[in-house]
Amino acid sequence: MKLRKLGTALTAIALAAGAIAAAQAATNETIVTVVKVTGINWFNRMDDGVKEFGKANPNINVYQTGPGRADAAQQLKIIEDLIAKKVTAIAVVPYDPPTLEPALKKAMDRGIKVVTHEADNAKNTMVDIEAFDNTAYGAGLNERLAKCMSQQGKWAVLVGSLGSRSQVQWADGGIGNAKAKYPKMDLVEPKLETNNDGERAYQVAKEVLRKHPDLTGFQGSSSLDVIGIGRAVEEAGKVGKICVYGTGLPTEAGKFLESGAINGIAFWDPKLAGIAMNKVAQMLVDGKTVENGADLGITGYNKVTVSKGPGKGVIVRGTGWVDVDKTNYKQYPF
Amino acid sequence: MRASKWLADRQFNFLIGVNLLVVIVATWLSHGQFLDIDNLQSMGGQLPELGLLALGIMLSMVSGNGGIDLSGVGLANLSGMVAAMLLPHLVSADDSPALYTAVFVCIVVAMGLIGGFLNGVVIAKLRLTPILCTLGTQLLFTGIAVVLSNGASVRVEYVDPLSNIGNGTFLQVPISLWIFIAAVVLLGWVLKRTPFGLRLYLMGTNPKAAFYAGIPRARMLIVTYGMCGVLASLAGLISATHTSSAKWDYGNSYLLIAILIAVMGGVNPAGGYGRIVCVFLAATVLQFLSSLFNLLGVSQFFGDCAWGFLLLASLAFAGGERVRAIFGIGGATLKTKAPPPPASTGR
Repeated sequence: MKLRKLGTALTAIALAAGAIAAAQAATNETIVTVVKVTGINWFNRMDDGVKEFGKANPNINVYQTGPGRADAAQQLKIIEDLIAKKVTAIAVVPYDPPTLEPALKKAMDRGIKVVTHEADNAKNTMVDIEAFDNTAYGAGLNERLAKCMSQQGKWAVLVGSLGSRSQVQWADGGIGNAKAKYPKMDLVEPKLETNNDGERAYQVAKEVLRKHPDLTGFQGSSSLDVIGIGRAVEEAGKVGKICVYGTGLPTEAGKFLESGAINGIAFWDPKLAGIAMNKVAQMLVDGKTVENGADLGITGYNKVTVSKGPGKGVIVRGTGWVDVDKTNYKQYPF
Repeated sequence: MRASKWLADRQFNFLIGVNLLVVIVATWLSHGQFLDIDNLQSMGGQLPELGLLALGIMLSMVSGNGGIDLSGVGLANLSGMVAAMLLPHLVSADDSPALYTAVFVCIVVAMGLIGGFLNGVVIAKLRLTPILCTLGTQLLFTGIAVVLSNGASVRVEYVDPLSNIGNGTFLQVPISLWIFIAAVVLLGWVLKRTPFGLRLYLMGTNPKAAFYAGIPRARMLIVTYGMCGVLASLAGLISATHTSSAKWDYGNSYLLIAILIAVMGGVNPAGGYGRIVCVFLAATVLQFLSSLFNLLGVSQFFGDCAWGFLLLASLAFAGGERVRAIFGIGGATLKTKAPPPPASTGR
């Protein structure tokens, strides 16, 4: 009897899995997107992009997968299984790029096309896609800040961690932009560290406000910086008097965007990055390469910059950041 | 009739059955791709890290008195990292790759031994509960790894023989799998055929009786946790060579899975019982399932769900006694505090 029960249960599983297998057996060209971790808003949004690409290209079998827990080891296992599965292309957002190097090398040795995202230090990749040039992104944020501050007054820059390369590049991009264009903007606190922690960012912002009561601008880098700054600005009763711009996620920053404590945020849309990865993977499968200035047909990737990567591959940079304020943050559900 | 020799160990039968079933279903679903040599090698290469950690959990559980080694993953990462950082100062990778590899292995295993002995000494001499002690050392090992590396990956110098440990094959079988199988066979022999193994099971079954029988508790514990440390460091050796890097948070999800494997393999968390072949089979079935789901492109969450289902099924098959042991009411306390639940006699 026990056996029968077990048998029923396993048959049910087998049938479910069989249905999925049948659905996927229709084509033999497969592009798989592997994300850092499944089930979080950011990568659910990327999944939307992958599905959209799949709908537009019904002759290719595309899907997104990723570990259930944020762990480099689990991501590596998935990549290895995909190599054994002999998929056509792997598009991966590495949890920790160095960990995947041998596996991705193995994949390429076996003729699988490899595309990475957010891994401009990855050696074993054919194309790494970055949503944008970090310096230009920082300058873009600063441009909005300068406009809000009427191009004058004291301002400060916060970064999540001085060890984070991209965040420091964003900050430097902003600082460089102000220095070159707006001589009346007075940078009083360059790159204060917030340890990627909203609470710490709040403390830091409070200290800055105490030290410089006439401060009129903040530029944040980590997505939690603006949250901390927004809280401090609200508490000080200076909403509307201080301009706050920085990297942020719409769901997290929404409350402060509504109250006006944060004037605007920027980020890149993982959905578009997902489409871009699959698009480039498809181009590689078709034997094409990405040329400098090429148009991928995706917003923000209409004129990409191609440069040499640390390995044999290239880095493709778009201008794919999204500027968001109170009026339009609700369009981005992540 | 059920007590005939063939059906004597229900856990073993269950695991063999499930393994076979999964392989058959997987082969059918994947149109034979599951048995493709590439996939077999891929699975064989993925199995050892988790398997070795599960063996460590099993050993510590068998030793009884709430024994468990939570520090395995931390120690594995730390061992690999220390070797990767120390070695370039000792041996040149380009001049003598073989020596480089040998010294790397020695440092890793030595680190495992030191870490394991540390656990053993604290548990045996300071009489700290294993779960608290190893939770502490887990944080300690991980913390040291973070400080050493500033939180980033540490690169392992690439030399062929070293990379082969994690990536190469011998007779079409991944070398890391050979290491795991060797560990299984050796440990199986130690537990079954040596006085040490007998004493360990006795100590786990009844510490008091073991004490009066003159079994040296402290020495036994130190050796046992030392062995756990070595097993963890072997896992670290494989992961470091496999990925050419060592990072403090690599495999942070492995601890619970390793415990799951041990419990599914029928190891009694209260001590005194555990068959190594069952732990091996539990590890393989989890690997088969996870690779199957990846082959089919099924969500990983579904995989977790299936693992949970398997664990429950294995408990149901194991019968009342083991279930009671797993839920923390050991046989001894049962007899003194409460009559056995009537459900178990209903069969």
